[in-house]
This record gives sequence, C-alpha cells and structure tokens, in this order.
Amino acid sequence: MTTLIILSVLPLLLLYLGLFKANKTLLPVSVIGLLVGLGFAFAEWNANAQPIFSGMMLFDRFSVAFSSITILSTVLILLLSKGYFEKISSHVAEYYAIILFALAGIIVMVSFHNMVMLFIGIEIMSVSLYILAGIRKNDFASNEAALKYFLMGAFSTGFLLFGITLIYGASGSFNLEAIRNYVVESPREISPLFYTGLLLVIVGMCFKVGAAPFHFWTPDVYEGAPTLITTFMSTVVKTAGFAAFLRLFSACFATLSDFWAPVLLIITVLTLFIGNITALYQQSFKRMLAFSSISHAGYLLFAIVALGSASASSVFVYASAYSVASIIAFAALILVHRQSGSDSFDSFNGLASKNPFLAFTLTVAMLSLAGIPLTAGFVGKFFMFSEALNKYQIWLVVLAVVNAIISIFYYFRVIIAMYFRTTDRGEVAVPAYYTFVLGLSAIITIVIGVYPALISDLI
Amino acid sequence: MSTFYFIAFLSIFFAILVITARNPVHSILYLVLTFFTFTIHYILLNAQFLAIVNFIVYMGAILVLFLYTLMLMNLNKDNEPMKSNIVKIAAVFGGGCLLVTVVASLKTMTVSEPVVLQNPDLGLVKNLGKVLFNEFLLPFEVSSLLLLSAMVGAVLLATKDKQPKTI
Repeated sequence: MTTLIILSVLPLLLLYLGLFKANKTLLPVSVIGLLVGLGFAFAEWNANAQPIFSGMMLFDRFSVAFSSITILSTVLILLLSKGYFEKISSHVAEYYAIILFALAGIIVMVSFHNMVMLFIGIEIMSVSLYILAGIRKNDFASNEAALKYFLMGAFSTGFLLFGITLIYGASGSFNLEAIRNYVVESPREISPLFYTGLLLVIVGMCFKVGAAPFHFWTPDVYEGAPTLITTFMSTVVKTAGFAAFLRLFSACFATLSDFWAPVLLIITVLTLFIGNITALYQQSFKRMLAFSSISHAGYLLFAIVALGSASASSVFVYASAYSVASIIAFAALILVHRQSGSDSFDSFNGLASKNPFLAFTLTVAMLSLAGIPLTAGFVGKFFMFSEALNKYQIWLVVLAVVNAIISIFYYFRVIIAMYFRTTDRGEVAVPAYYTFVLGLSAIITIVIGVYPALISDLI
Repeated sequence: MSTFYFIAFLSIFFAILVITARNPVHSILYLVLTFFTFTIHYILLNAQFLAIVNFIVYMGAILVLFLYTLMLMNLNKDNEPMKSNIVKIAAVFGGGCLLVTVVASLKTMTVSEPVVLQNPDLGLVKNLGKVLFNEFLLPFEVSSLLLLSAMVGAVLLATKDKQPKTI
C-alpha cells in the first residue's frame, strides 16, 4: 500500500517541480522516488498477506514480485529518457508525471482483490497511455497511434466492463473470494450470465495484452508512438496486463478451466502464428519488435492455458526476461535512429565494427528474445513449455517450438546485419546512461539465463 | 402500475421515433425524451441517485455532446453516402442472425422468481453514500488518480508548444 501511495504522490511532486522550472531535478527525483517505492514493496514481502480496505487490495508475494519488476523496468526506461523528452517539447515534467501515473495504475492492477480495483487500475494505466502515445503533437504517425489506441482501448474497456457486470449479476459480488466461492460451491448451478461474462472478460483482457485476433491495434500504435513510450508499452504494460489476467483467472475461474481453456488455446495458437509470420515480412526494426511482442503475448498465454500452481512464477520469469531484452532492443533502436534517422534493418549494417559494446548487448537481447540457451529468454520459454507439458498440451508445445524456430530467423537478421554487412558509417554516440542500462540489462539477461533459481522460486 | 405502463409506452414510442426520424437533430431530441422517460422509471423504482445521474450525465452532458458533433459534421441528405449492395446483404445477414438468437433465447426463457429487495431504500443517495464511503472507499479515492491523469493529459495535449521542434 505504501508503494501505491508513494507512486501517487511522486507525480504530483514532479508536476510542482515542473511548475518551478526545475527540469534538471526531474529524472533524479523520479528515479529516487521509484527506488524508495521499490524498497517499501520489498518490505511488504509476506507469505500470509491479508486483503485490506474491506477486501479491495491484497499485497501478497505475487503482487510484490510483479510490482518490483514493473518498477525496475520503469527505472531502466526512465534512465533512457535523459534528453529524450526535451526534444519533443518543453513540458517534460508532465511526461514523467503521466508515466508514473500509469505505473500507479499498474500497481493497482497487480494487487487487486476486487473487480472494481482491476477496472480502475486498467483505466488509470490506459488513459495515461493514450496520452503518452500522442505526445508528439506535430507527428502524424503519433496522432494516429494515439487516436487508434484510444478508440480501440475504449471499445475493449466496454467489453471488459460488460463482462464484469454480468459476473457481478450472477455471483452477487465483485470480491474475488466471493466469486470463487460462488463457482466452487455450486458448480452445476452457475448462471449462463456468468459464462457470458467470463467470455467478455477474456475478450477485454486479450485486447489489453494484444493477443490475436484482438491484436490489430498493436503494430500501428507501437510504430507510431515515440520509441521510449513503445518501450514502456511493450514491457511494463504487457507484464502488468498478464499479471492481472493471471491473478483474475487463478483466483476466480480456475475450476472452470474446461470451459475457457479451449477458447484461450485457440487464441494462443493464433497469436503465435500471426505474430511470428507477420514479423518475418517486416523491413522496419520497430515494427518487427511490435509483431514480436504479439508473439511473446502468445507464449505468455501458455501460463494461463495450463493454469497451475507454478503459473505465477513462470509468467514472472518470462515477463522479466522479455522486458529486459526488449529494453535493450529499444534502447539500441533509439540510438541508431538518432544517428541514421531510419528504423529499418539496413540502418544496423556494420554496427559491430564501430560500436562493439552496443552490438554485443543487442545480440544478447536478440538471443534472449529468440530463446537461445544461457539467456533469460530460454529459461522463460523452458518454464512455459514444461508447464504446458505437465498438462499434456503436447500439440500446443509442438506448435510453439515451430514458432520459436520461425522467430530465430527474424531476430538473427539484426545480428547478421550488425556483424556481417559492412557499410560506411560513423560511430553511434552512446551516452553514459545508455551504457549503464544496456550493460545492466545484458548482465541480468545472462545471470538469469545461467542461474534461473535466483528469481524462479520467489512466488 | 398504470403510471408504469404509461411511461413504458412513452419510452418505446420515443425510441421508435428516434430511429424513424429523417432529420438527425430530431432523432437526438427524441433520444433526449427517451432518456427522460428512463429517469422517471428510476424514480418509480426508488433509485434517486441513478435518476439524477441519468438526468445530468446522459440527458445533460452526453446528448448535448451528440448535438455538437452533429453540428460539426454537417450531416445533410446530399452528402450521405450511398450504401452498396454488399453492405445491404451484410446488414440483412447480421439482422437475421440477431433475430435467430433472440427467438432462440425467448424460447428457452422462463419466468423467474420476482426479485424482492432486502432493503427497498437501496437506491437512496444516503445508502449509496454509506456504501461508497465505507466499503468502496479505496476505489473511490484511487479514481482521483484516473481523473488527475486525464486532466494533466488533456491540458498537455491542448497547450500549444512555444518552439515546436520536429525530430
């Protein structure tokens, strides 16, 4: 709870700092504030957490773990923002404030114990993101991204809200425990309203996490939004979306899995194939990352399809690995884009000879995203697949392995461009903050890959 | 009971006028009347708060917004696009699907037990306030974050930058 309070007050502080033109202090203050919030989150680490505020929130291990990974990723992303927002306009404080508002919503999303909190958390996050996607007011692509995201997001919110309403109508409560009791106590007398509501909630959540066939907003929004915001959307927001999805389903609907598992199974397979095959044809690195984020949503859905006691920790490991690797990829993209002004794969040609460090970290990130052993991505995929195998979803795993092989092809295009294509190019300037973020993320990726027990037993 | 039937008749009557009116502005004005009859329904159900919210938010704010949008869009008969045959076929198909669903669900419908409210004063503002400030205090407070974030964002998007720089 303290974390949520800190993250709610911090944006207000930033707005005041912006009012008094103290733009130099914005980044240090927000990073320090986030680290303090992280510390308080750790302090709430507790095996026997009880719901608080008449059953509204529950800060258990799950919520602390996911709060920590989202706060850490946000810190890394904010470190990349040094000198980034100043180029867009002079209202820098507002940008930081809105990012932190979104993070506060995310904390609500990963610790809810009541459907009302879930909805409010998702809305705080989404409204902030609609604004962030459109902060480049003079850029047509950014305007398009914001408008598309807003319309699609509002549409999906309608589905989610209607689903929640129907579930409330059937079970008579918003409280997760009460809904679970309703499902468990009389499994034969569940009202049809409840099933309809469940399906609508699935549709709403799949919109939010960008799973096919509800993914169509993702590529345009990710490509049009400023790259730093895309980084935030594809790492922190995706992690939070899946955490909320998993929390809702494991808390309430676990016993009904015969009903919803086939639906999610089809969504998973579609997401994997659409994400990976479309990514093959992209010429722009940013758009490729957007499609790859769709396919990673497919892998993350595995944990919900094969819902079990280990689901939470496998989503945690996978989301951490994916977030860290994506941050490297987007950071490299920002640097290369700054120099060459283009997002295409060709702009990475010959990067290795001039910037060996940048090329090396990007290689680690690509290997991790592709799921090569000794990187965090492999560990994440391993947990996901082994859990699905435990539930005898053999065909699902076979299809996923085929998809992992397809994905190697497009991730390796970047590596090949960097190391084996040569062009005349100058050295890309890498600021110190970027070196720190790139180095730290690469180290985290390799450490988790070599010694996964560090984080896999947390939840 | 006769009041209910009268108001229900008015609701349906105005709702039909909404979809049959040729002029979009008339259509919206009928929609205002439809919502007004809903407000009366809520009052009959002893739901004060819903009645007030429906009156202020739906009739007052949202429909006025509708009217403004219509004024800006300048919908005339001349520039209304001609609908192609494919659209018509799709519409007939969609409507048919809806009809089948409605008929099927009507067939399986049974009359349920009448719902008896434990507390007939459930919809009064006083009771709602008690629930809102006891059990649902946290969501109520956290919504302020949502509003604040939206407000900051709206101001941010609406202000003009002094030195627009494109990258």
